[in-house]
Amino acid sequence: MTQCARYRCMAKETRAARFSILGYLAACLLVLISNGCSTHSKRISQPRNLFYDGQLTACREGLEKLAKSNRHDRDVVNLDLAVVDLLSGQPKQAESKLRAVRDRFDHLEQDSIAEKTASMWTDEQVRSYAGEDYEKILIRVFLSLSSLMQDGLDAESYTLQIQDKHEQLTKSLAKPSAPPEVSPTDSNLPDAVAPSKGHGKEYQPLPLGFYMRGMLREATHRDYDDAVRNYEIASSLLPACLPLQWDLARARDGIHSQPGHGVVYVFAMVGRGPYKIEVAEQPTSDALLIADRIVSAVGPYKLPPTIAPIKIPDIAVPPSDVDSVGIRVDGHSIGPTASLANIEQLAVSTYRANRNSVIARAVARRVVKKATIAAAKKGMGTDGLTALGMDIAGIAWEASEAADTRCWGLLPRDIQVLRVEAPAGDHQLQLNALLGNRPVGPAQSTQIQVIDGRNTYVLCWFPDSRSASQIMCSN
Amino acid sequence: MHRRDWLKTFSMVTLTGLVGCRGYQYGHLIKPEAVNMVGSHEAGAEVFDPLIDEAVAKLLARQNIVTDDCPLGPNGQPMKKSICFIGIENKSSEDIGDFKDKLYSQIDSEILDSNCFQSMSKRMVDAALHETRMRPDSLMLPDNMRLFTAVLERSGAPVDYLLYATLTSGTTKRNSSTQRDYELSLELINVHTGTADRLNAEVRKGYHKSAAGKFWNYNPLKR
Repeated sequence: MTQCARYRCMAKETRAARFSILGYLAACLLVLISNGCSTHSKRISQPRNLFYDGQLTACREGLEKLAKSNRHDRDVVNLDLAVVDLLSGQPKQAESKLRAVRDRFDHLEQDSIAEKTASMWTDEQVRSYAGEDYEKILIRVFLSLSSLMQDGLDAESYTLQIQDKHEQLTKSLAKPSAPPEVSPTDSNLPDAVAPSKGHGKEYQPLPLGFYMRGMLREATHRDYDDAVRNYEIASSLLPACLPLQWDLARARDGIHSQPGHGVVYVFAMVGRGPYKIEVAEQPTSDALLIADRIVSAVGPYKLPPTIAPIKIPDIAVPPSDVDSVGIRVDGHSIGPTASLANIEQLAVSTYRANRNSVIARAVARRVVKKATIAAAKKGMGTDGLTALGMDIAGIAWEASEAADTRCWGLLPRDIQVLRVEAPAGDHQLQLNALLGNRPVGPAQSTQIQVIDGRNTYVLCWFPDSRSASQIMCSN
Repeated sequence: MHRRDWLKTFSMVTLTGLVGCRGYQYGHLIKPEAVNMVGSHEAGAEVFDPLIDEAVAKLLARQNIVTDDCPLGPNGQPMKKSICFIGIENKSSEDIGDFKDKLYSQIDSEILDSNCFQSMSKRMVDAALHETRMRPDSLMLPDNMRLFTAVLERSGAPVDYLLYATLTSGTTKRNSSTQRDYELSLELINVHTGTADRLNAEVRKGYHKSAAGKFWNYNPLKR
């Protein structure tokens, strides 16, 4: 064989090798794109609509199917299933599911470098979902409610866990920038309540946690001092809430209920709550251009152009046509429920506090992908059409990313409470969705039993003025 | 960068990723003689255990002397006094969270272990409070006390004493260090005579922002 023929043969082999690598890359990209296109928000939309239409059985079937088909969605789907269980009269199953997810989220708070590495080559959806901070707090709130709907055995522990978790999350958030306070606070409020941890008021705890603890301590007929302490904290968080002032005054100088009377607590979940959607982040794309320049500056790399936008999750809250629930007992109007847990505010503020790290990860991922393509191009010494092909493949790889929109989808916008003291015995409870103190939608009734000197709990959800509310009673 | 170098780097990154897995959580039993963990932000077992031990020991020591004057039982031994432990009131600046019921149970058990008192079931006390709808702090009024003890007597549990426990605290600050004095008061009220006996126990604790804070504030050269 002549020298010329040998060179021609080698050139053919090199070309074949390049095409085989390109083919492999294209196959990988196809797999990645097919995985990346679908997001949790798209998959969950149908069961969510079924839930708001009041079709709990169909919603449960849809969620169970989703939990089986997609293991990365399982935890958040279990949270949705727990809400369905709770509102369909199965608080025990709800509590069990919530406990399992709580423990799993706690476990997932540890970093896995394997998952982090994998997410750098694909997207955030390959990581196990450890829950947003607001979800971790709300799991404990729903655990308390699930327990109250049964025997209330663990309700007090769960209310303590709400505060503990909040404190832990606040401290972990404060770690990188400001060290946490070491000395004890000089006020009556625990560390968790003090909002001045360098984060403004964005991480204020839920007043509902303190309220529920106060409510349970008051029901002992003995620990009024604990009730006062917790109502004080709740009212300091919501100074304009008048019912909290009444509760505080009663705990200071009054008694739980008059002899022969019992108390009904109506926990009303109002409106449709926050969920995650995918958004294209423009400032991040600008940051990426700077990253491009840096990568280009440190080596002779020709990077794929920045065309695909950075996709990150954001919190969306649908508008609501219900703002409270009116309560009537035996035909007598008692009043509207008062908001003690603004979930929309909690979700937006806690997500905002962590948003920078989400963006940082998205930018880092894009840089890794660009550097990989650049290194591959240089390693293979590509030019002309092959380089263009690799650039296109790189763009497609970047575009295959989808934001991680996994979230607890079936949350209310607000959790509100009304306390009613009534004589022991059976009563007719009527609930009506209100907007600006005006009834919207039909009233719903249920029979409740008030027990002398004890608390009875009622749970309902008015997602909007059209949807039928589910009403649960602890007895 | 050569292709081989790049592959090496990639393999290293992947290997590091595989090594960094999530761990498990572990627990262990603490031997009874082991010292308690010292809370960094608030009081815990290291404060409450000695407080209770000291306060209850003082109470029992003083009541043992009184026992000599007590009527004797059929076996010739002094009759045990029936004590109704109403509860613990937390007036300290800290939220004691889940410690409250533990403190109640600990005080109750230590009293029950003594020979001079016969403690009353907490459930019975709760039932009487529920029935009378009285606040624990309102039982000091003679009429309320009579009504409350009558309810207990009707349930077959006559009462000689009411016991209240109160947890208080006082805070001293010096720059970034804080000293907090915790005090547990046990107040014993004779329902027959209305006389009261009060015993205190105190534990002081320092909180510092640095490890040197303890030495700086509490060294022997400091006044």
